[in-house]
Amino acid sequence: MNNEKKISFKESYNISLELADKDAGLIKRTYLYYIVAFLFQGLAFVCFYPLLTNIFAQEFSLSDTLTWFGIISALSIIALIFRWLGTDFSYSGGLVKVTHDIRLKLGEKIKSMPLQTLYRYRTGELNSILAQNVDDSVLHMGIVAGMALETIVVPLVIIIAAFFIDPVIGFTLLIAIFVGVPIYNWSRSKTKWDKTEGAKAHALLEADTVEYLQGLPVLRAINQVGENAKTLQRSIVNLREVQIKGLWGSTLPMIIMNTLIEFIFLLVLALGALWITKGEFSVAALTALLIILGRLSEPLANFLAVAGILDVMNAGFSNIKKLMDTKNFKVYAPKAYPQKFDIEFSEVDFYYENSNQKALDNVSLNIKDNSLTAIVGPSGSGKTTITKLIMRYADPQKGTVKIGGVDIRNMEPQKLMGYISAVFQDVYLFDDTILNNIRMGKPQASDEEVMRASKAAFCHEFVSRLPKGYETKVGEIGGNLSGGERQRISIARAILKDAPIVILDEPTSALDTESEVAVQNALDELIKNKTVIVIAHRLSTIAHADNILVIEDGRLKESGTHQELLALHGRYNSMFQAQQRIKEWNVKVQADS
Amino acid sequence: MDKQSKKKYGLWAIMKPVMFEIRAAMLLASIGALSLIAFLVVLSFTLTHIIQGTQIEILGIELSLFNTIALLAVLTLIAFLTRLFSFIVSHLGAFRLEQILRTQLSQHLADVPLGYIITNGSGALKKVLQTDVKSLHTFVADSTPMIAKTTVAPIVTLIVLLIVDYRLALVSIGVLALGWIAMAYAMKDSKVLRQKYEQSQSDINKAVIEFAQAMPVVRTFDDGTSSFKRYNNALDNFKNNLNQWMSTSAFAGKLGMVILSPLPTLLAVFILGIILLQNGSLDLFAFITALFLSTGMADSMMPIMWLQNFIKKSQASALRIQEVLDVEPLVKAANPQTPQSYDIELKDVSFQYQTGNNNALENISFKALQGSVTALVGPSGAGKSTVAKLIPRFWDVTKGELTIGGVNIKDMEAQTLMDTVSFVFQDTFLFADTIYNNIKMANPNASKEDVIDAAKAAQIHEFIQGLPNGYKTMAGDRGANLSGGQKQRITIARAILRDAPIVVLDEATAFADPENEEEIVKALANLTVNKTVIMIAHRLSTIKDADQIVVFDQGKIAEMGTHDILLQNQNIYYKLWKNYEKASEWNLEKGENHE
Repeated sequence: MNNEKKISFKESYNISLELADKDAGLIKRTYLYYIVAFLFQGLAFVCFYPLLTNIFAQEFSLSDTLTWFGIISALSIIALIFRWLGTDFSYSGGLVKVTHDIRLKLGEKIKSMPLQTLYRYRTGELNSILAQNVDDSVLHMGIVAGMALETIVVPLVIIIAAFFIDPVIGFTLLIAIFVGVPIYNWSRSKTKWDKTEGAKAHALLEADTVEYLQGLPVLRAINQVGENAKTLQRSIVNLREVQIKGLWGSTLPMIIMNTLIEFIFLLVLALGALWITKGEFSVAALTALLIILGRLSEPLANFLAVAGILDVMNAGFSNIKKLMDTKNFKVYAPKAYPQKFDIEFSEVDFYYENSNQKALDNVSLNIKDNSLTAIVGPSGSGKTTITKLIMRYADPQKGTVKIGGVDIRNMEPQKLMGYISAVFQDVYLFDDTILNNIRMGKPQASDEEVMRASKAAFCHEFVSRLPKGYETKVGEIGGNLSGGERQRISIARAILKDAPIVILDEPTSALDTESEVAVQNALDELIKNKTVIVIAHRLSTIAHADNILVIEDGRLKESGTHQELLALHGRYNSMFQAQQRIKEWNVKVQADS
Repeated sequence: MDKQSKKKYGLWAIMKPVMFEIRAAMLLASIGALSLIAFLVVLSFTLTHIIQGTQIEILGIELSLFNTIALLAVLTLIAFLTRLFSFIVSHLGAFRLEQILRTQLSQHLADVPLGYIITNGSGALKKVLQTDVKSLHTFVADSTPMIAKTTVAPIVTLIVLLIVDYRLALVSIGVLALGWIAMAYAMKDSKVLRQKYEQSQSDINKAVIEFAQAMPVVRTFDDGTSSFKRYNNALDNFKNNLNQWMSTSAFAGKLGMVILSPLPTLLAVFILGIILLQNGSLDLFAFITALFLSTGMADSMMPIMWLQNFIKKSQASALRIQEVLDVEPLVKAANPQTPQSYDIELKDVSFQYQTGNNNALENISFKALQGSVTALVGPSGAGKSTVAKLIPRFWDVTKGELTIGGVNIKDMEAQTLMDTVSFVFQDTFLFADTIYNNIKMANPNASKEDVIDAAKAAQIHEFIQGLPNGYKTMAGDRGANLSGGQKQRITIARAILRDAPIVVLDEATAFADPENEEEIVKALANLTVNKTVIMIAHRLSTIKDADQIVVFDQGKIAEMGTHDILLQNQNIYYKLWKNYEKASEWNLEKGENHE
């Protein structure tokens, strides 16, 4: 715990350099500029002492005063120049470039990381890393570094100089540092606690708010709304309690920190006044010290504020780094590519991350080239896992998956994906023209090719009816595309792609009857001359499959044609019977349990 | 008109409930700023007298050195304590405001039409309750004391400086003005550029969401090249806009920062001070005071620029909160009535969504007799779901009347209506609570036996018993992994326990897998015994024996009758039925034989 805190400063520095990569030199130079700038700024403050001594001296010397004044001005100007150079990084595109490069790299990462790893992140999380964290951490890097360095370098210079003016006063300031650093650390750990507890309370409130909103139809019926909504009220009140607790927790260190600064100020004043009356100290020295100290309190007061921002930056940095450090798939040597497209699982075991239950348990199966294979089974039995492994969603812990006799781990991921088209229940359309949405299947396709695929997927008719036809942007018509129409666009994509393997995962189950017929026609077009794997709930739709795999609890229970499986009188048979019974059912059949 | 004058928008309006805390915090902050200035003035007096070797005398009162230091200590203490208490008071106020607003919002959302929540989505509304309320915090807690301080401090400083020596005052103001001019120049085009920047930032957000969300799908087409290109374009755009903004404001911005830093002011005051001191037109006290105070003006103004960003965000949040609070609640009945029978009748009902400009329903009239089954069918978007949602008053009809047992549902108390109608929709929802409580919540007075009986009738009892923790298993997002069908049956158990005389079913079986489906169907059968049922199902075989089938097309009733009569009509229902038969006969078959 303690360790974590200590390395955080250095760690952020290292991570920032690592993230900046090629621009690390630029960052280092920026920090250096700042340090030089604040060194000179500190020295300029220090020179107020000789200047004032001169002014208040018994014999006033104009030339000395002007000399010191010139020195102060020169030091200030040098400080300003370096500061200017330092801020250049923030203002003249340096930071913008770093941000841009990091985002590009993160994008590349998302593009190439295993899907299983990708799914670990919720969309909101990825969004906050790529958009928010990059901004928080990188864009403010220059400004925050400037503020932090100012609070460190300037006081340091002044304290060292104070020793030359008067060792006792130098010593007093030094003690303040020795007392201040632990208090500062302590206050940071307090604010950290405040943040983690606060984050927890906020997360709880968020979950309860969502639940409240989604459950409103039910809650309203039982009049548990507003102040009567127990769970929500509890977490609203809880948040306030945590906030108040955090306020006391973080206020106390603040009181002490502030008292310390004021106390030093008063102490110096008291000591100085005492010594002046004894003639041991000059008025000039005291005035100079007070002016300098007055200038110090501002950056010191900023220190705690900066510390808070540092925490945010740190969190951002570590999120970015974590994403950056996720492993990509290894492609095994030698790289090889299939000539045929039969699919073979041999003794495949697979666990999902964070699960100790086998999703697939010693599954061996064979899907013939250019055949129609159906996978059936209860939900959660592992049907979708099989199709995911074919697309190398993740690598199985045991066993191999081969296409055309080649282990899929020996193929470049892009090549592998080139062999497969998939149509899912939910369709994702980009906010782009319909033409481009279909063209995704084959980016180099001509407009004619796209049109042909669209016709084959029975899209052409409804697309032509749109005001701008194929040039209509999906976003503009948004909800005006029905589920069936969206599905047909996705099938057109797949037809255009013309991959040798087609995976269909319940493509018609969420559609109304009318759309269903159109989608079915489109599917008939898509699967010609392909190796087809279909996951279907409605068993009647796959009665003509060449082979039906019955999966239960991650194991292959039965396989064969519809007729063979019915004759087996096993799992498939009972599923089929159940569905036949539902067909008979309608609202007027009386309850029987 | 009246409504408009009633509404006040903006940050200050929304803080009304905690105005006391805010005023107190601002007052305290002002006192703190004043005592800090007083401290510096006293200090200047003291130093002047020490230098001149005279008795310390402040505004005519003679003080010993010890008393002077005590006075300084007291002023420091006041400055410090007021700052501290201002901080605490404003924060306590902000916390209280958060609680008040959240409670108010949650109550209000329970009073507005449920349809509002469905159209806006719980995600967006959550953002208002959570994020927007939270971001007010910065303004209420941090900005209000700061505003007081940054208003009082420079003004009083200036006054003191003018009294002490107007020339030095003018010099320090001059430097300040130079800084402001530079800053203003830097910000000259900033509004346009800022908008551009914000636009490109939100474009990045969109591109990221799209890029990440679509990735699984995109991967099945290519390696993400095409969507990466879009992401890349958004990034390039952002880079260019930001660079443009930076480059136009960079020089002036930096110049402003340099000028507003303390050194230039200090040097200017110093030079002039020395000159005036030499020619004898300035006294020592004025010189020292000016040295202490002159930099204070610039110092106190910097934080407010720093805060601008947060204030803007808070403002947008305040507006969003007020927008939600402004949504009209459902009108409460003046003389609540309770229906004695449970026929449902729609008389000439038209309905228009607030966002739409066409009627979603037009002149709908039909009657569902108590204890009968009425099926609503039609192509998607025809209006059948809208009708189903009008019955539990998710929205109010725009025109016409919807009655239950002859009583207009607008004349029923919300509670009565909820007791009369239960509904099971496609999307199920379970609370993060035990399965037992999830069922029981439908009827807080139910006994354990009642709950179990309901679970049995919903065909879910055996499944629950099979779970390691049985009825105590946690459900909901944060609980056990239940399949869609299992969740659906728990929802049905809830409805069975509720035992409302009217049941509305909207595609209640849509997402079930085959095995669950059989059980859900049985559960629904148990739920609907002896009830007035309104149901929507896309599998037409399910509803073909309904007492009445109402066929919708484009928001109107196209035809009505029993299955047999409608088939004879050979109209829309006939087409739907043929389609349905075709779809259920379809099966995947390899096409190569036909080629």
